[in-house]
Amino acid sequence: MSRQLDGTGVTAATGVGTAWWLDDSDPADLSSPPDPGTVDPSNERDRFETAREAVRAALTRERDRTAREVGEEEAAVFDAHVEFLTDPAIESAVAEAIETGRPAPHAVRDAFAGHIETFEAMEGRMAERADDLRDVRDRLLRELSDTDVTDGPPDGAVVLATRLTPSEVTRLDPDRVAGVATVLGGGTAHAAILLRSMGIPAVVGVGEDLRSVDDGATVGVDAATGTVHIDPDLDVRERLESTDGPPVIHDRVTTSDGTAVEVAANIGSAAEARAAAERGADGVGLFRTEFLFLDRDAPPDEDEQYGAYRDALAAFTEPVGGDHEDADPHEPPDRVIVRTLDVGGDKDVPYLDLDPIENGFLGVRGIRFSLGPGRALFETQLRACCRAAAGGPLAVMFPLVSTPGELEEAIAVLDDVLDGLRTEGVECARPELGVMVETPAAALSAAALARRVSFLSIGTNDLSGYVMAAQRDVDAVSSLADPLQPAVLRAIDRTVRGAREEDAWVGVCGEMAADPDLTRLLVGLGVEELSMAAPAVPAVKAAVTAIDDDEARSTAEAALDAETPAQIRSMLSPD
Amino acid sequence: MERIVRVVPEAGLHARPASQVVRTANGFDAAVTLEAIDGDAPPASATSMLGVTGLNVKQGERVRVVAEGSDAEAALDAIESILTESVEDGDGDSESETDGDGADDT
Repeated sequence: MSRQLDGTGVTAATGVGTAWWLDDSDPADLSSPPDPGTVDPSNERDRFETAREAVRAALTRERDRTAREVGEEEAAVFDAHVEFLTDPAIESAVAEAIETGRPAPHAVRDAFAGHIETFEAMEGRMAERADDLRDVRDRLLRELSDTDVTDGPPDGAVVLATRLTPSEVTRLDPDRVAGVATVLGGGTAHAAILLRSMGIPAVVGVGEDLRSVDDGATVGVDAATGTVHIDPDLDVRERLESTDGPPVIHDRVTTSDGTAVEVAANIGSAAEARAAAERGADGVGLFRTEFLFLDRDAPPDEDEQYGAYRDALAAFTEPVGGDHEDADPHEPPDRVIVRTLDVGGDKDVPYLDLDPIENGFLGVRGIRFSLGPGRALFETQLRACCRAAAGGPLAVMFPLVSTPGELEEAIAVLDDVLDGLRTEGVECARPELGVMVETPAAALSAAALARRVSFLSIGTNDLSGYVMAAQRDVDAVSSLADPLQPAVLRAIDRTVRGAREEDAWVGVCGEMAADPDLTRLLVGLGVEELSMAAPAVPAVKAAVTAIDDDEARSTAEAALDAETPAQIRSMLSPD
Repeated sequence: MERIVRVVPEAGLHARPASQVVRTANGFDAAVTLEAIDGDAPPASATSMLGVTGLNVKQGERVRVVAEGSDAEAALDAIESILTESVEDGDGDSESETDGDGADDT
């Protein structure tokens, strides 16, 4: 029987597929082991040791974080977990099983099995120890399994989960996943932004009722309305399955008065660059390179980064689709703007040992990290960028700059890196340079920053947060962290004016760039480039072509004089 | 050599007494194993928290403590003193109950 559940939609997209629970995959549910003679015990011992070290490191991190944020007493459970992890009874049982030719995962599962049973049979709180043991065992098994290769969702699945972490989202293949629905989570969390940028129809925060959906059920996800349909009726199903959107425009677009506006894409990987090119993006306005650093134990090296940047460029230089070849040869080449590593704030990279306060929103994040503790990573990344720039129009921009001094220091590092590459005789080029405007300081110093680079790119998500002193994942203040707050628009206006004094161009790469209802406002404010999640590109291109320049300017002027976001919304709503 | 000990602490061979046994056993060269005389679990190494708590020995039950090695005698003495020392008979310093050792399951 058809029924529906409500949550928060994070993408203006819909999809229908077969329910597949992510959290339901029991890591202890292993396939039968291969013939003992075919397993190399020394290899399995190494696998086990590596996995155990990784789990121990993760437990220690969680222990420290819990101790700091909750309390020592609550953190003690992690000590107990480490104790189980390193218990000699487990260690010897695993070693013996591996010696007889068992693969590491089977050895681990079997080593824990008896102990779990023993504790389960006990009364009261001792029985809870069985849960702790299962927890430790499952961590080890997940560490040992290649989940992303073997256990991914089947084609056409609607992935259901309690919650998704950003790294879990990045493992989803947008071409194969029909949709996502989660029990917990908000629409502005990092995972939600990722889902949006990957164009996966997703409804988050559906609540406990979602758990009643069984694997294999037909589920429709309507992210436009924030609804999850279970066993939808035929008419609902047909509506959700239709993927009709505005037509893809591969050519550059202008307003009806001929003002050029670049419509580019935000990406986190070279694969997303190809998807963006197919949607008609005029290059990449924001390559969030931190995603190259997630979901691994060590940072990507120079060659790996070089490969990713080169591949992203190639996605736009190699022709996509028939009409692209008819593109005007006088059009500027599609560039790829690489934002240097932006960690800290709400973006954690486990192996960098970031501290939530020290590296928090007002701490060492963005360029501050790159010029400080992340200096070596920064140099490696810039080497990769300069090498890739030799092969195409690659630009580099620096995140969270708040003074011209920081920018000069960053540029000095880049020039040192270039000198080094040239001395080594490595093919390289100096990329076009830009600065992210995310802090009120950057907006107020726009001219001084623009003097040193060729463009400014406004990150409206962070800019809203810092201008309004409100974090958008805190529900109670999320309406303050609204880019349509007049103070935020005034910061954008100030940025554009400062940039114009120095002949620099201004782009917007925050989420507001993806909303076609806001295109006229941003173009009216003088923004020349909009960069967004790829699925939004066709609608925003269509919105650009409908703009009358005078009308856009007067909309912008009225918005700058407004006092509330509601007043601005009413000006923009289609009559 | 071996010794049979009746467990006095209220928690039995769980929680603090168990982790004290593990820590103590790790401090000796002798290999120490414990066996629950009143239960049916197989003998467990005294250096394994899992093994020791898995014996599920309660207050008043008996444990066979076996030690093999150069300092076996001293190891037996140390383990016996933990298992026969009632926490309640101490100096009443309640803080000593809370100095966390991770085995906080009572």
